Amino acid sequence: MQTLIKQQSTIGAADRRTVGRVTVENPRIRCRNVHVYYGEKRAINGVTLDIGRNEVIAMIGPSGCGKSTFLRCLNRMNDAIDGCRVTGDILLDGQDIYDKRLDVVPLRAQVGIVFQKPNPFPKSIYENVAYGPRIHGLTSTRSELDEVVELSLQKAGLWDEVKDRLNQPGTGLSGGQQQRLCIARTIAVGPEVILMDEPCSALDPIATARVEALIDELREHYSIVIVTHSMQQAARLSQRTAYFHLGDLIEVGMTNQIFTNPRHRLTEDYITGRFG
Amino acid sequence: MNKITEGHTVKRFDEEMLFLHRLVLQIGSLAQDQLRRAIQTLNDKDPTAARGVISRDQALNDLDVQADEAFINLIIKRQPMAKDLREIITISKAVSDLERVGDEARKIAQLTIQIYDTDNSPPNKQVLRDINTMAAFVGDMLEISLTAFDELDAPKALDVIRLDSELEEEYRSALRRLTTFVIEDARTIGHMVDVVLGLRALERIGGHAKNIAGYVLFLITGSDVRHKSLERIEGQII
Repeated sequence: MQTLIKQQSTIGAADRRTVGRVTVENPRIRCRNVHVYYGEKRAINGVTLDIGRNEVIAMIGPSGCGKSTFLRCLNRMNDAIDGCRVTGDILLDGQDIYDKRLDVVPLRAQVGIVFQKPNPFPKSIYENVAYGPRIHGLTSTRSELDEVVELSLQKAGLWDEVKDRLNQPGTGLSGGQQQRLCIARTIAVGPEVILMDEPCSALDPIATARVEALIDELREHYSIVIVTHSMQQAARLSQRTAYFHLGDLIEVGMTNQIFTNPRHRLTEDYITGRFG
Repeated sequence: MNKITEGHTVKRFDEEMLFLHRLVLQIGSLAQDQLRRAIQTLNDKDPTAARGVISRDQALNDLDVQADEAFINLIIKRQPMAKDLREIITISKAVSDLERVGDEARKIAQLTIQIYDTDNSPPNKQVLRDINTMAAFVGDMLEISLTAFDELDAPKALDVIRLDSELEEEYRSALRRLTTFVIEDARTIGHMVDVVLGLRALERIGGHAKNIAGYVLFLITGSDVRHKSLERIEGQII
């Protein structure tokens, strides 16, 4: 951390200006000049970035750089934190998600989130997936609900492993299966965007590979924003990568370019293991 | 030590990169020496020394294998990214080219054996003059390309690419002169094919030096300059 602070003191405002193209055509989410404050402390400093349709965009950066904070802005998860204030514009399909009249419950169905640690409800596998569609009133009959549960578990690549034990507790599954159950739960309410905050960091390599394969397939239907500490994972999964440093969005680019020829010195230093 | 091999949080990574960097220079130095010795055997009319050059090529092959193992291990352990990744790719490709420089030097040593071990009427000095001229030229190209690699010097790498165009011209001129010799004195035709193969080997060494210079530009700038005209490369780099 000392190294980071030292680096920050030597970085001028020009060095903190985002390098690379932050916009995409026909974006799913459009973020403009987003600042996030925890009390007096500024955690995100004027980030402008588009999230495209059917893309996986990776957020990388050292601990404390603001990547998770930014991710949580995208479905207003930060609202739950006392003293957290967000300024700037975040538009989902043109709709301001910070509009005071907007109900955050349907927003969080549209923009689902999967956390670092699998967190299935203490309910059956079936109920874990059925819960969302039921509270959002997305189905009217039991057979419709059955269909949504099966389809979601299929999309999450879990159906074949659990179809014969849907009434058993979700917490009884392995870590990797629990994480895929959480993804199925997210999918079940028909989101447009899935946010993932280090979704594989608690998983073993095989479970990680399964979740990564799933993310790759899900891209066909959803926009996916993934925060990861694994640069190899970012390189494997994403089409675009964004590098954050102490609250600034330093560089955005095509993933291949970022990992072979980054344009900003801070990005290069971070991904080559020269600080952090 | 250049900036690519230093500054990692994991100091062992620095050491491993430095080891590979120095290995390239070591292989380059050996390849240059092989070229010098091969040409010397031709000038000295010494087939025995030429056999020494041929057997010494094995040392170059061994270093090539050693470099392969080292950078495979480094990829497994460190999964290099950005300029580290470009350095590893550059090293991997440069080592292959340098190993082939050794193969071409061996061909020149074989030329010495062909001419002076089996024949009582070696070609006259004039016929061999172009070999010496071209050897000096490609020797310089090789030296500059290795310095460009060591010092991460883009202008020097560009110089090598420029020199390659001159070399091509030199090679064509040498072939024209040889043709003239044959027309003037048909008795020299026996060695012409050998000498042409020698010139061809030198022209290939120049090509390898140019390849190395191209990898250096890729290492420095991230741009792939292969199969591009000199004008386009200069436009990209300068």
